Amino acid sequence: MIEWIQRRRGLIAGIVAAILFAIWASSQYEPRVLASILLSGLTLGALYFLVTSGLSLIFGLMDVLNFAHGTIFMIGAYIGFTLYANPRLLLNMLPFVLAFVAGWLLARWLPFSSLPTGHRRPLWVVAVLVGVFAVWGFELAPLATTALSSGGRVPTEQAQAPIGIFIARTVGLAIAGLIAGAAFIIGNEHTRQPAPRDLVLSSGLLALAIIIAPLRLNAEGWILALDSNARFLLALVAGASGGAALGGLMEWSLIRPLYSRPIYQVLVTLGLVFVGTELVKGIWGPGGYFMELPAWFSRRGPSCPSPNLIAWLQDNCASIDVLGRPFPSYRIFIIALGIAMFIGIAVLLRYTRLGMIIRAGVQDSEMVQALGINVRRVFTLVFALGAGLAALGGVAAAPFLGISPGLGQEFQLQAFIAVVIGGMGSFTGAAIGALLVGLARAFGDQIVLTGIQLPWMSEAMTFSPSIARASTVLIMALVLLLRPAGLFGKKE
Amino acid sequence: MSDVLLEVDTIHTFIGQFHILEGVSLKVRTGSITALLGRNGAGKTTTLRSIMGLNPPRSGSIRLAGEPINGRPAYNIAQLGVGYVPEHRAVFRDLTVEENLRLAERKRGDLARRSDFIMSLFPDLKRFYRHPGGKLSGGQQQMLAIARALVADNRLLLIDEPSEGLAPIIVEQIVSALRQMSAETTILLVEQNFAMAAQLADEYYILDDGRSVQHGRMADLVHDHATIDKYLGAG
Repeated sequence: MIEWIQRRRGLIAGIVAAILFAIWASSQYEPRVLASILLSGLTLGALYFLVTSGLSLIFGLMDVLNFAHGTIFMIGAYIGFTLYANPRLLLNMLPFVLAFVAGWLLARWLPFSSLPTGHRRPLWVVAVLVGVFAVWGFELAPLATTALSSGGRVPTEQAQAPIGIFIARTVGLAIAGLIAGAAFIIGNEHTRQPAPRDLVLSSGLLALAIIIAPLRLNAEGWILALDSNARFLLALVAGASGGAALGGLMEWSLIRPLYSRPIYQVLVTLGLVFVGTELVKGIWGPGGYFMELPAWFSRRGPSCPSPNLIAWLQDNCASIDVLGRPFPSYRIFIIALGIAMFIGIAVLLRYTRLGMIIRAGVQDSEMVQALGINVRRVFTLVFALGAGLAALGGVAAAPFLGISPGLGQEFQLQAFIAVVIGGMGSFTGAAIGALLVGLARAFGDQIVLTGIQLPWMSEAMTFSPSIARASTVLIMALVLLLRPAGLFGKKE
Repeated sequence: MSDVLLEVDTIHTFIGQFHILEGVSLKVRTGSITALLGRNGAGKTTTLRSIMGLNPPRSGSIRLAGEPINGRPAYNIAQLGVGYVPEHRAVFRDLTVEENLRLAERKRGDLARRSDFIMSLFPDLKRFYRHPGGKLSGGQQQMLAIARALVADNRLLLIDEPSEGLAPIIVEQIVSALRQMSAETTILLVEQNFAMAAQLADEYYILDDGRSVQHGRMADLVHDHATIDKYLGAG
């Protein structure tokens, strides 16, 4: 019995602390205030969870501390927002990306691998030159800002290159991709046989790029004509897939060569924070944007706030009545999104082969490899998955936090704290840590707002706004004192 | 049955800056059990890891059925039909016995096809099929680690110290399982327990200080006390 208590002293201390805190909180606040603090905490917790889950999976499987995770969160917000409010920018960039990837895949199908290794470097140089030539003079910034800064519709032709030049650029990038792909496969001939699949995929992507090129002028109108809910869902999907693609690319190009040099990996991800932030400033400008709520969460009127969730399904009010206080319905959506992702990842980890490989790889990725599983590919996949989740969080956060180049940094720091609290590498830990940090922030904010009334004092104790941020660090320090590996951590 | 399945030719392997293998050569005949002997630190485990592609050799060549495999990634070598049972029974602790085995499938249905054979070798695994690998005893974990290498069609098994730290009665079970397995596959076995290796192996190679120094038929080594004392004796 005593041994049992000793072994679980962290858990017991945690439960006792939670109960004491609950008693204190319920004496301090009326139920309706308490409910809205809890819901605010859950909202933040859900957003943190979308960041911490990926961070923790990536660390658990690959031992990579990804400092750029918050940056991907921020970029996800920008991508989603751009699709929502100004698809012109994305539509003008997408054909280029597709064409480049198509060229790259085509190179894998053609018999380039037999070229002498000496051709490698010159080919890279040619690929870069062709690529630069193809996009030379292409102006991104006007595409990004026109529709937004003018506050309404901008003539469709404005800032968009004529079709002939645009197609020429697209083809140029396909050729650049082809040459780069050829340079890449020279010298690793035994890793892969030319697969017909590559040819199919490649021509498909190229065809898509060519189709989008003339359509981009009209597609913008079609997307903007969709109702805001559909655009919002599209934005979530686009942000998440854009983030996933960026994450996969990042692992494959920058992280993978550095698995034997972990310090360099940390430095690379740290450097990407600055690169990503400056790139975003370069394209979208240094200022912030505000993303409008979709219709589902923005109706105001005599019947609002919705008396309950069921009623909200019909009246789509901007807020829902919780014990007599209105609470924004969009935040309920974020909570639901967080829960859905938690369940989704839990199912993935528990019941699929990929999940099995991840769980095994967290313990011993070398042995997984020795069973004939290409662990590197799983690494890329998990990196993409984690980045996609963070980017999804970014899009979800955009309507209520606003979008700015600094959006990721605050989340990065809090997410690290949450992951450390929960235990590096543990999925449950990431969820619990995110929840704790979210709740701590919400209670912190409330305490800043109203102070704390203690029975033996005549007036309320007041706190500086820093207390909300400090509270999460305090929790981390306490948890680490009791359990140095975090609540659910196995790795040190 | 005298053709060579695995041929290792003067491989040099470095771990960090340390030159661990300084010219190891060996041949494993199809269908045989070949024992890799030598003192602690002689380079036995590194030899297996080099073959598996986990510590690729810097020079020398490794051929599986005549095809060079050095320089390939480990998963690729595994897919060519090489099974690896590492020392310290690296079973996946958080995965159930079933999941540990299922992870080793390379084609759908591998486990279903091989399940009866595996369970007849190690009945304990059937009893604990849905328990996490980490909850098994040391002997059961060793059995699971060996069973995992039997799920896919492997031509060659690299088995590292299967008897380490196990009670004699468990060692006997494992010896009998290895003997049954050798009827259909080729085994390269690293073993400190000379009595066990002598019972099982047809041929032996002795490593000393990262070099292969002697090889021959196991039946001859058993009587060669001078060699045993020189290379395998304590101290």
